[in-house]
Amino acid sequence: MKSTQYSEKVLDHFRNPRNVGTLEGIDVAVGRVGNPVCGDLMEFYVKIKDDRIEDIKFKTFGCGSAIATASMITELAKGKTIEQALKITRQDVADELDGLPPIKMHCSNLAADALKDAIKNYQKRQKTESATQATVNTGAKKEIVGEQGFLNKGVFHAVDDFSIFKDKRIIVVDRGDKSVEIALSLTKYTPRVVFVTHLKESTAPKDLEKRLRASNVKVLYESELLEIKGVNEVEQIHIHDLNEDEEYDLFIDAVIILS
Amino acid sequence: MGVYLDYQSSKPVDQRVIDVMLPYFSKQFGNPSSLHSIGDEATEALERSRQQIAAFINAEKDEIIFTSGATESSNLGIIGYAMRNKDKGDHLIIAEIEHISIHNIAKYLVKNGFTISKIPVDQYGRVSISKIVERITDKTILISIGYANNEIGTIQPMSHIGALCREKNIAFHSDAVAAEGLLPLDVKKDNIDLLTLSSNDLYGPKGVGVLYVRKDMRLNPLIIGGGQERGLRSGTEDIPCIVGMAKAAEIMQKEMNGEVKRFTVYRDTLINNILESIPRSHLNGHPTERLPNNAHFRFDGIEGESLLISLKDKGISVSTGSACSSKTLEPSHTLIALGLLHEEAHGSLELTCGRFTKQHDIDAVLKVLPGVVERLRELSPLYR
Repeated sequence: MKSTQYSEKVLDHFRNPRNVGTLEGIDVAVGRVGNPVCGDLMEFYVKIKDDRIEDIKFKTFGCGSAIATASMITELAKGKTIEQALKITRQDVADELDGLPPIKMHCSNLAADALKDAIKNYQKRQKTESATQATVNTGAKKEIVGEQGFLNKGVFHAVDDFSIFKDKRIIVVDRGDKSVEIALSLTKYTPRVVFVTHLKESTAPKDLEKRLRASNVKVLYESELLEIKGVNEVEQIHIHDLNEDEEYDLFIDAVIILS
Repeated sequence: MGVYLDYQSSKPVDQRVIDVMLPYFSKQFGNPSSLHSIGDEATEALERSRQQIAAFINAEKDEIIFTSGATESSNLGIIGYAMRNKDKGDHLIIAEIEHISIHNIAKYLVKNGFTISKIPVDQYGRVSISKIVERITDKTILISIGYANNEIGTIQPMSHIGALCREKNIAFHSDAVAAEGLLPLDVKKDNIDLLTLSSNDLYGPKGVGVLYVRKDMRLNPLIIGGGQERGLRSGTEDIPCIVGMAKAAEIMQKEMNGEVKRFTVYRDTLINNILESIPRSHLNGHPTERLPNNAHFRFDGIEGESLLISLKDKGISVSTGSACSSKTLEPSHTLIALGLLHEEAHGSLELTCGRFTKQHDIDAVLKVLPGVVERLRELSPLYR
């Protein structure tokens, strides 16, 4: 079976997804689930009153089945009690959609998990009403493997001449305002500038977030650079995504770490 | 059939090709190995076809080996050469953005005691000569670099790589499937020793291909049998398909210049309009060194399979490098090699035009794409 061979019901929910959007308010809890392998991401917003799901909305980045399963579960969950909603399984969602291609069963069928996540966040909040802020993982400054070995072979501790970065893929490691300035300036010389920071998107200084967002800089929030690799010069880096606790490689030509 | 802009994946067989193939199924059905006149007719058709293919890439007739397609050609070229020449060395070099078949051939060779180095590419998908030189050792016996990339359409500096290989006395193999019919191929000028060609990419039938083997190259066969194709590829020749491929090459040689001019206009119309009308859209691949029929984009915040299904709903057939539409669920290794993150590689769209593309096909895409992208972005938690 082809991975895109979907039932009519899946296609219907893909074409006309129900309950798309977000919710706001103190009685709203958010659940967020992503599958790093396939790259799907789901966000659920649930409004709970008297232990019953009064309203539910979602947003999804992903393939056809990711969108359809999210849409379907909003219909299944709406009006249900928390207890009933927590019992909805991936299989229930798939069955309601007249089945999913086998390869999509584990990968893009995340809706049940995301809903559970949202409800759990709601319950957690009920218990600790004082709502302790989620601790930001500032990540103790670890040594970056390869930083010294590739110094001036793609690793730079200072930037004097921007023109040497023309058309290169550059990653700038967050070392405060100066590094942000450099990242923004580099966009005049190359289409590919990546900025890596331990900061969470939601807790980063508003000004910084705004300026970076308005630019072409690709920001990797809650991430750290672990290793720099290459044959004679920088060719690849190894990144740790602290939020997903996932590690991956990225092809790059230059690394700027202000000292 | 609606709008078809996925010529990279499959091409229809040209009616003129079908016409010359038909008699070889039932009337001229001979086996070239037979000595009677029906057999002689088959031999004549086979050798005439060989000559036509040779002319298409500026090779000699005896340097053309017919196979079952491009995958077999690359297997024979790379594995056949490596096995025959392992006393000279056990090291091969390929590029990070080679077609998946070449990566898997490399994996097979590693399991069989060879070592492989992969050359990274720049953000536009080009390999650099200096990065090849860095990886060459005295054990390097073969370098395989695709003429142009099948996904993003980036063209490689072939004559420079060929000159380097010749100077270092290393065999040079190239998979030219994405380039054939779109770029003039000249194995002599580019110093290519082994070249993979497919028939379908010339609007010929599937199930047949060619490996060009330069005269003094020595290979081990992978298929052993009655010794056809100079012993390099046994099995009774598929004359209808071979005749079809040769006819396709002959037509291509005559019509390529005009076609390429037309494709270039389509491609540039797509690129200019899409980048302008869709915010946060990007071109993947090289701005100038790219195949004349290839336009490859990514759109921030959306995923390729949902883009593909949305366009399918509007009667438009296209491709994506998204993991969700693949067998392995891994995003395209080509897009990752450009330095893209997984989420970026997921949002890609490949449009390739071909012989039967018309201006109204291009117009149809330009009309619906902005709305489709906008709708998916409204659903997306990544686009704010």
